[in-house]
Amino acid sequence: MITSPAPSQAAAARQWFLARGDLNSLIDALKESGRRVIGPTIRDGAIVYDEIASAGDLPAGWRDEQSAGHYRLDRRTDERLFGYTVGPTSWKRFVFPPNLTISTAHRSGQFGFDQPNPEPPQLAFLGVRACELAALAIEDRVFLGGQFQDEDFRARRSAAFIVAVQCTTSSGTCFCTSMGTGPEVHGGYDILLTEIDEGFVVQAGSPGGAAIVAALPARRPSHAESGAAVDMVEAVRARIGETLPIPGLAERLKLQLDNPRWAAVAERCVECGNCTMACPTCFCTAVVERSDMDGKLAATDRLWDSCFDSSFARVAGGDFRARPQDRYRQWLTHKFSTWVDQFGTMGCVGCGRCITWCPVHIDVREELMAIAPPVPPVERPVAVEPVAASPGSFSIARVAGVKAETEDTYTVSLSDMDPAFLRGRPGQFVMIALPAFPAVPISISRFRSNGIDLTIRAVGPTSTALTNLHPGSKGGVRGPLGTFWPIEDAYGRHAVVVAGGVGLSPLHGLVDALVANRDRFETVSLFYGTRTPEDRLFQDDLARWAASSAIDVAVTVDRAGPEWKGRVGVVTTLFDKIPWDCSKVTAFVVGPERMMQASVQGLISKGVPPDRIVISMERHMECGIGLCGHCQMAGRFVCKDGPVFRLNDLGEMFNREGI
Amino acid sequence: MDDYATVIAMLNHTWFGAELAPETQERLAKLGVVTGFESDEVVIHEGQPSEKMGILVSGRLALRTLVPGKGLVTIMSVEPGDIFGWSSVLPGMQAQSSVVATESCQALVIDGARLRAALREDHALAASVYPRVLEAVGRRLRATRLQLLDLFGR
Amino acid sequence: MATIGSTARPRVAVAKFASCDGCQLTILDLEDQLLEIVSRFDIVEFPEATSRRSPGPYDIVFVEGSISAPEHYDQIKELRKQARILVTIGACASSGGIQALRNWADHDAFRAAVYEHPEWVESLATATPVSDHVKVDAELRGCPIDGSQLLELLTAVLVGRRPQIRDEAVCRECKRKGIVCMVVARGEACMGPVTTSGCDALCPTYGRGCFGCFGPRAGANAASWSRGLQKAGRPPEEVWRLFAGFTAYAEPFRSVVTELGAKKPAPAGPRR
Repeated sequence: MITSPAPSQAAAARQWFLARGDLNSLIDALKESGRRVIGPTIRDGAIVYDEIASAGDLPAGWRDEQSAGHYRLDRRTDERLFGYTVGPTSWKRFVFPPNLTISTAHRSGQFGFDQPNPEPPQLAFLGVRACELAALAIEDRVFLGGQFQDEDFRARRSAAFIVAVQCTTSSGTCFCTSMGTGPEVHGGYDILLTEIDEGFVVQAGSPGGAAIVAALPARRPSHAESGAAVDMVEAVRARIGETLPIPGLAERLKLQLDNPRWAAVAERCVECGNCTMACPTCFCTAVVERSDMDGKLAATDRLWDSCFDSSFARVAGGDFRARPQDRYRQWLTHKFSTWVDQFGTMGCVGCGRCITWCPVHIDVREELMAIAPPVPPVERPVAVEPVAASPGSFSIARVAGVKAETEDTYTVSLSDMDPAFLRGRPGQFVMIALPAFPAVPISISRFRSNGIDLTIRAVGPTSTALTNLHPGSKGGVRGPLGTFWPIEDAYGRHAVVVAGGVGLSPLHGLVDALVANRDRFETVSLFYGTRTPEDRLFQDDLARWAASSAIDVAVTVDRAGPEWKGRVGVVTTLFDKIPWDCSKVTAFVVGPERMMQASVQGLISKGVPPDRIVISMERHMECGIGLCGHCQMAGRFVCKDGPVFRLNDLGEMFNREGI
Repeated sequence: MDDYATVIAMLNHTWFGAELAPETQERLAKLGVVTGFESDEVVIHEGQPSEKMGILVSGRLALRTLVPGKGLVTIMSVEPGDIFGWSSVLPGMQAQSSVVATESCQALVIDGARLRAALREDHALAASVYPRVLEAVGRRLRATRLQLLDLFGR
Repeated sequence: MATIGSTARPRVAVAKFASCDGCQLTILDLEDQLLEIVSRFDIVEFPEATSRRSPGPYDIVFVEGSISAPEHYDQIKELRKQARILVTIGACASSGGIQALRNWADHDAFRAAVYEHPEWVESLATATPVSDHVKVDAELRGCPIDGSQLLELLTAVLVGRRPQIRDEAVCRECKRKGIVCMVVARGEACMGPVTTSGCDALCPTYGRGCFGCFGPRAGANAASWSRGLQKAGRPPEEVWRLFAGFTAYAEPFRSVVTELGAKKPAPAGPRR
């Protein structure tokens, strides 16, 4: 994600070994090149970055312990010079100073503005970690990547000589592994150090770096030494682990702008802005004027500012982010979502400073996991290994009969097929094709002793061709595919099947199963709504079920002529007077998406628990096995993870337009 | 003359009447007449002045309206417990659709003019009847909106 | 408005209510700028500096001290009438100050305990900020005020612009100065997160936690910081002391002081 010039293969391959006691030679060489050396040193109980005179100023034998709102130093058992992670300072301070005079104006004599443009200080940064290199690269994009550029930053940045250090230790707030920024260093340095037991494995990453390395009292490392350097960094990667699932996070956050957690975290947040100050990429500034009393000289200072300030987004007419939760949301969504839109990468490098230096212990990792958790994979048992699963391979089935259900919908009975199809479960579907006609997904509406029924509405070329088949014709089928109805979700409860129009087809097999296992359920009922009486499927079965004592059937139509004596009204009116305790209802719902949305809303408002509402989704499918990508629905493949979903598996995705 | 106890028992089986105060139930029972309709009997004519409101006790009524080019269309059915003829207590007092029995029905029917007069003078009665009329009308409004959405649209 | 180039010097008065005079001394401490100030402003009333009295109206009135005695009511209203710009200076005038702690106590009992003849002492049961009584145009916070903020205000009046007095957490000044956070790194108590800036992080610069003398910044989440300090192991008495220190009566510190005060054991009471 971070673009930095990669060192050439040759440079990467040329390694040196510098004994720990000889590190001063590097510091001296940097100073001799006319630079002040900035590096880690202990001050006020923390390892900060400040000017160092010699290796003696480095925190030899110290380590840091970090967690949310907590930082302590402790002795190591060895004398390593870089055996700790990042502290409160970031290199931002040296390329983007916290307080900078950006212009002065004078009134004595001729009025005018002056832009101070002093030579940037010649600095060498010693001990730049992988996450910090990533932060510098992000700042490059922010300050130098657009139409208008920050010249002061450019001067300081290009003057800086960078001695990077690979991390051989980690702390509790590190998550570079999740952000893809570390612990390994990949370019962006002049010299790279990896500290092992006796000293450093050294690599040059630029001609300037190579010149300095050449003058060091270094020798070629042994294989063991080179290997140790790689192993130590790898061990750090393993120790940190991947705690924050980043794929899809930027998109998920955008869907969570109304999450109640924003208000909850704002209750804790004291809006001190320390996260933004400690962050190595936060770049907001305030411009402040000052003038002397006689009005002859005025200056404009640029200060690090923070979006947590209550006045940050204020204009004369009011504040655009008036509530603390608005400001917290602004910061977190910028770092992990909208930054990507603006600058092509996330604004976070996983250094963990915002976590450690938050005085009220807010951990962005926890907040992100609570606000925009990763989509957990849908775990469903496989009913039966599908036959001819891959696209292009088909198992042959014979058409036993075709029966008209409505004006445009037919039930095609297949037989003489692979017995695996008969072992499929209600809710599953098959891909069916005819020569010269592309495969289409069709739900299995009934399992018979010698085959399966597919109920097909003639809407496209393949479905029309299928409904025109004569008994004895052959077709190619793949399946059974997808998830099936979790009938056990309704054990001991009121099983309510809600069907709209042709949605009764994938539910038909479920109704059969519910009736066959009737004693496992408190009650079993079918609510079926169609547009007109003529649109009802399976009219014989409906009559049979209505006559049976095993299941209650209520049918309603949206509109009807005078000959219809049954109920008229939308399907949700059937819920109005459900006589049961709705918390004990398990509902299985299929229909056109609008009907499902209205039904789900109706059921929830009656008190049916969302985790006891099961639906079957429809999406465009080409392959049926999660490879073609057509049926993708915000992190799910409807064909593979569905089509049957528990409502809470879908969460926000259901009811969202355009997903 | 109906036996009030029987009528009140009927009311108690409807959502409309079940939660009413006993004196209100009695008032309605006195105002209303238990009436039977035969299948296909037209109870209210669309467009005519509304002359009665009813609470359906059993059976099913169809609300039908004449749609030019489509003939008589059933737009909704009235199920036991629900009311019909609500337009008789709302200004305008004109029936919005025809009400036809699709099977033999029993209903408590109240004369529109008498009901309006009673609601005007008896505020306690009005305070308990109007919210229920509103609830019924609101429910129809929601159902109609969903119908407009055309849930089964293709 | 006197602006640059105009010859009329703005008339400045400094007035005092219940206070220790420390803020007036801060003005006198601006040694390098004093000559400049008196050459540009006509200081006509300044009890700490001169016994000269001069009636209003004034261009600027700096008010020190809280409203704590019955006669203060009329005096502050009269000052307001005479002032074009009324600026409170210090914690007492801006929030009631240390003496506002009496607002939670039994005033009569205190008075009886301290004075031989309490009936000779005219004093109110409460000490309240000036803004509870008259409109205030600007506040200079702190105990005492910060000299550079005062200079900025004077300069702004001369130039004819709004003074640049930022309202941000003391933490921000700390971070810009590169001071290591003592709460996180040393587990010490500090009022920085909820206190408004302006002192250039004076106490943290010298290794001490912020005492909160500048008072709460706008929208400070005092409730969360009170919980945070207690969670970090600070006993409620200490947290009460921090919030009650200088600006106890300023919301939202006031709510924390009330809440924690209700929990803490009653003070032993003043002794004769």
